Amino acid sequence: MIAMSLRNFLLGAAAVVAAAATGSAQDLLAVKGGKIVPIQGPVIDDGVLLIENGRITKIAKAGEVEIPWAAKVIDASGKWVLPTWVVAHSQGGQRGFNENMQNVPWLSVADAIDPSAIYFEDMLRAGVGTIHVLAGNQTLLGGFGMVVRPYGRTVEDMTVAGNTGIKMSLFAGGGGRLQQIRRLRRALTDAREVLADFERRKAEFDKEKAAGAIPADKTWTEEIDRTKKGVVDLIQKKTKGWLFVPSFAEVDEALRLAQELDLVCVLGNNIDESIAAIARLGKPVVLDENLEYFETNEETQKETKYCTAKLLADAGVPFVLTIGQAGPTSNAWWQLGTCVRNGVSREQALEALTLGPAKLLGLDAQIGSLTEGKLANLQILTGDPLQATSWVETVVLEGQITYERSKDARLQYLFGAAAEKAKATPAKDEPKPAPKAEETPAGDGNPTEAKPAEGTAGEGKPAETPKPAPQNGGTAAGEGR
Amino acid sequence: MPRPHFAPTLSLMALLATASLAAQTETRAPAKADGPIAFTHARLLPGGAAAIADGVLVVHNGRIAAIGGADTPIPEGASVVDCRGKTITPGLIDASFRTAANVADANEQGSEITPQLRALDTLDPEDKLLLRARAAGVTAVHVMPGTRSVIGGLGCVVKTAGSEPRTMLLKEDATLHITLGAEPSMGNRAIRGGEVDSIYYRRPTTRMGVVWEVRRSFFDAKQALETVAGAPQPADPGTVVLQKVLQGQLTAVTTARSEQDLRTALRIADEFGYKTVLDEAQDAHLVLDELAAAKTTVLLGAPSASLVAGTGAQDGAEPRSATVAQLAARGIPFVITTGTNLQALDLVREAMFATRNGLSPAQALDAVTLEPAKLLGIADRTGSLQKGKDADFVVWSTDPLDPAAVAESVHIDGISVLAPR
Amino acid sequence: MNRCSAAALRGSLLLALASLAAATAAPGQTPAQDLLVRCQTMVIAPDTVLQGSALLVRQGKIAYVGDEIPAEAKAGAKLVDYGSAVLVPGFVLPPTTLGRERDLAEGALPFTPDLRAVEAFDPWQEELLRLPQHGVTSVLLSPSPRNLAGGLGALVKPGSETGGGRVVTPELQLALSLAQVARNPEREPTSLMGAIDALRTALQKAKSGLASGPDALILRGVLEGSRKVTVAADTYPELLGALDLAREFGFQPVLLGATEAHKLVPRLLEQKATLVLNPLRFDQPERQLQLPSLLAEAGVPFCFGGPAESLRLSAVLAVKHGLDRRTALTALTRTPAQTFDQAALVGSLRQGCGADFVVFGGDPLDLGSPHLATWIDGVCLLGTVPGNARKSKTEDAAAVAPAAGVR
Repeated sequence: MIAMSLRNFLLGAAAVVAAAATGSAQDLLAVKGGKIVPIQGPVIDDGVLLIENGRITKIAKAGEVEIPWAAKVIDASGKWVLPTWVVAHSQGGQRGFNENMQNVPWLSVADAIDPSAIYFEDMLRAGVGTIHVLAGNQTLLGGFGMVVRPYGRTVEDMTVAGNTGIKMSLFAGGGGRLQQIRRLRRALTDAREVLADFERRKAEFDKEKAAGAIPADKTWTEEIDRTKKGVVDLIQKKTKGWLFVPSFAEVDEALRLAQELDLVCVLGNNIDESIAAIARLGKPVVLDENLEYFETNEETQKETKYCTAKLLADAGVPFVLTIGQAGPTSNAWWQLGTCVRNGVSREQALEALTLGPAKLLGLDAQIGSLTEGKLANLQILTGDPLQATSWVETVVLEGQITYERSKDARLQYLFGAAAEKAKATPAKDEPKPAPKAEETPAGDGNPTEAKPAEGTAGEGKPAETPKPAPQNGGTAAGEGR
Repeated sequence: MPRPHFAPTLSLMALLATASLAAQTETRAPAKADGPIAFTHARLLPGGAAAIADGVLVVHNGRIAAIGGADTPIPEGASVVDCRGKTITPGLIDASFRTAANVADANEQGSEITPQLRALDTLDPEDKLLLRARAAGVTAVHVMPGTRSVIGGLGCVVKTAGSEPRTMLLKEDATLHITLGAEPSMGNRAIRGGEVDSIYYRRPTTRMGVVWEVRRSFFDAKQALETVAGAPQPADPGTVVLQKVLQGQLTAVTTARSEQDLRTALRIADEFGYKTVLDEAQDAHLVLDELAAAKTTVLLGAPSASLVAGTGAQDGAEPRSATVAQLAARGIPFVITTGTNLQALDLVREAMFATRNGLSPAQALDAVTLEPAKLLGIADRTGSLQKGKDADFVVWSTDPLDPAAVAESVHIDGISVLAPR
Repeated sequence: MNRCSAAALRGSLLLALASLAAATAAPGQTPAQDLLVRCQTMVIAPDTVLQGSALLVRQGKIAYVGDEIPAEAKAGAKLVDYGSAVLVPGFVLPPTTLGRERDLAEGALPFTPDLRAVEAFDPWQEELLRLPQHGVTSVLLSPSPRNLAGGLGALVKPGSETGGGRVVTPELQLALSLAQVARNPEREPTSLMGAIDALRTALQKAKSGLASGPDALILRGVLEGSRKVTVAADTYPELLGALDLAREFGFQPVLLGATEAHKLVPRLLEQKATLVLNPLRFDQPERQLQLPSLLAEAGVPFCFGGPAESLRLSAVLAVKHGLDRRTALTALTRTPAQTFDQAALVGSLRQGCGADFVVFGGDPLDLGSPHLATWIDGVCLLGTVPGNARKSKTEDAAAVAPAAGVR
């Protein structure tokens, strides 16, 4: 217990931990030849990016800047360079993220995060550099969250910022929506009482001290009970609240809570009826990973598809995207593509996964865009980040190369070994690999070039040449993987 | 108003009164004039032929009248739709499609072997899932009875729009659905000498039992065939269907997810000498040699999903995204479907994921257009943009395999079933 | 609604008085003397409305109508004068189990076409005896839609508490079902596929002549057209399945339920189908409430299904949503009678029909009109017989109620 509170105290300093060199020391890095999309500022087609001591020192067009001879050069020719994605709200990577007890504001995800969880490996593979981990949605007051990088052997290694706020949820669990609201209000009222009581006693102490009943050198040492401190800070707006709002029915309650607390709202689906109310929140909202949902008209039985991002974009409400833990929503390109498919601009979608969440987390001075002076968190992709065929080649976090696809052992195993099998070796039993298997690059058989295009019925139709350039960054474009 | 043009070979269709395709649902745009319509300046992906960058597609009387480059002659009086920046593909075909009626009404639990039952009887043209698929570019689907019975019954191939199922039919009684694995045995209980108070006290209760049921049915049907050759038709309609399969007049579709079940499916087919294609087939990457040797087609179900449907996980199936590329590399015929997986995405997005995982865009598109058409035997009518074929096509906002692509209009028999936004 | 229930209450309270007052009627027997029934507005059949006319009832049947009544009959008959009320034929309740689900649904087997609902008929059943309160004078007692082929229905009439109901026609229509309730997870068939296949197989067997026994006899009657058939079906695939069977085996479909009928109007017309609609309720979507008027416009005959207490409400709601009043009244009376070939006996007040009529203080399609009397087979089972020495409140009501015309 004490150790935990000490750790919390250490993490409690909300200052961003300076880049701790966790890998081999590489002070000078240069990324050249790629298409740089800084998010803030114009796109540079053939650019150079210099990194020193974990920070970006220079972004310029190729030829405008000299690359230091000592720098390790990453050739990004034909590739795209972007800041890593920032996920503003996630439950991944924890062992058990929904407590049995609903009201546990003193807990912290620091105790639940498992650095070896596959989730972090997957996020790194997907180009995510910063994740804000919080308790699950099926909680009342879930405890403190923290911002981590998906790389590191211990939670301390991974920490970027601690004690980012308390997770709250209006999720209607057993007992229903009104019960949940009532419990939440009761918790807040309790906290107010505790605070009032504390201050009353402190005032009495001061009075007695002034009256001489207490020796002058005695100081007020009492602290608010640790288990209640979180919520007390919450009502004093000293701590942020991250409130999950499942649907339109809870938006009004969220508005009421937002009057009293410093809240960031995380919206679920089914919000089309309450866009105006959401706009009254007056601050950016975080969108749950599922962006599209269907609603059926009772009268005509006709279905309409809604996209939460589009609804908010149309209403002028700033929003931030998140990335899911599994399924298609665990791909950044899928989330961005969904937004653009529904009419949100590319720029807004990209910002909603980079600078937007960085601002929301208060870390925009350090991350969220490729800007000189900011931390060197960047990803190099084989193509347009909004294309399904683009893969993340390299991830640099705070100036350290933390991911290279050519060295991704798991991908190699999943694709490499299997691809060998495809070359007509006799079937043999092989140990089944870990379950998550969706992110796989083109097999090294490179079927697009080697085999007849149809393959399926072998009718000898004229072989179709695949078209790499216009559609996709081109895994077929001779990646060598 | 253009009427659907039924091919003369389908005599069943000819018997029916021409059904009016008047706007029954709100999504169908008012029918265009009877004259030809030309879609110009579109990027055409005809399927089975080279792509055309700046092309013209002319549609008349429910059929494709002409397709070609920018210099294709446009007939007199044709209305012109400028498709600059858009891509036109054939309508997508989902070779293993689950309707909303599937669980309850397409799974007859009264008996495990019901070869004569027909999924066509459960079809509702306004089925929710059908409408969703149509809005996402699917113009034809193959619907089978569910996976809870060992031999569920007959599947049919229909277009996704029409006033009633008969007018939507492309092929009636197209396939026989067999399911292997633990799923058909779910819910059955062993008779252990206690009270037998429900119909569920019966075989099979294990995967072994499931295989036994299949073999027994085919064995009996084969025997009946051999002993009553020349005698009048046996009265049992189920046996008639099984005999059709044995005689090669009907293709079996076997749903098998795990490696073990895939091998078993091929083995049984081999034993009784009938033709089967493999549905779902998540473990196909482990049996590539057997698949190649059997010269069978694989209907890969929801290749983007990481979780398997039904009892697949119980059976030991583990999907891999690399499967689709490996099948292509080995030259094993395959199509991409949505199948029974609740996590399946729209068919076009499944194809999109396949390009991420190693298929070329052309292969991916063919796997959801021309290849399923050939598999289902409807390639003479649909599945590619060719002069004379039915005008089943989709106008996409951009390349269909782009995550930002949307089906702007979907046409079946030349009639727009999804109005442009 | 309040006035109606008050009227019903009055009716039941006065039932005791009526049985005292109508001492001339022996329980269950038709009165020996002719009755001359006079009423300001008389609906003989929905297209025949007589003003200021009369009926002659003899031996429980309609002997003469209006001007045809011979003078000497008029003289010798007992006068029953309802003054300025409205008299309509008694409502015919389409196939229903009258609440006896257990006895009219054979649970062990799904396919029992030879069972007869009349075996389960209880002349003293409460629901039966309550029917006159809702204006129902005859009912098609039918096996339950829980069975694929439930059996044969019958035409029965309710009676008074002193005389029970009686059977008019013991074996009428074959009740088939493709409805959800017929698909039972505990026995075959559990799916729609299976249900349609089972019916198709049975009919095919009968057609091919391979089948024998009572089942086959009944099914052959269906194929020949001598036996009426009803099929319970609600959703589109169920309705289509029923219509396809009707087409394939050449019988005229009568569909019970028909919730999604609006999707199949051309087929219904083509196959001359008749529908028995589920009762209309206030909380249904617009489309459901407009279905009767849609069917009327298209020319598809329909009637409203039970329970009896919802009949009038269904008609009223349908009229509110566009149905014309004449068709509404037809749906309550003549259509159900005609559909089951009983139009010579019930459903209208033409010569030869049973003397089954209902008297309202105003337009029967106005829920506020008080329900004054119900007569079955020439016996007043509900309300008073005016013309007695003892004056009753009902009579006053009849006198002062404005004569509402029935278009």
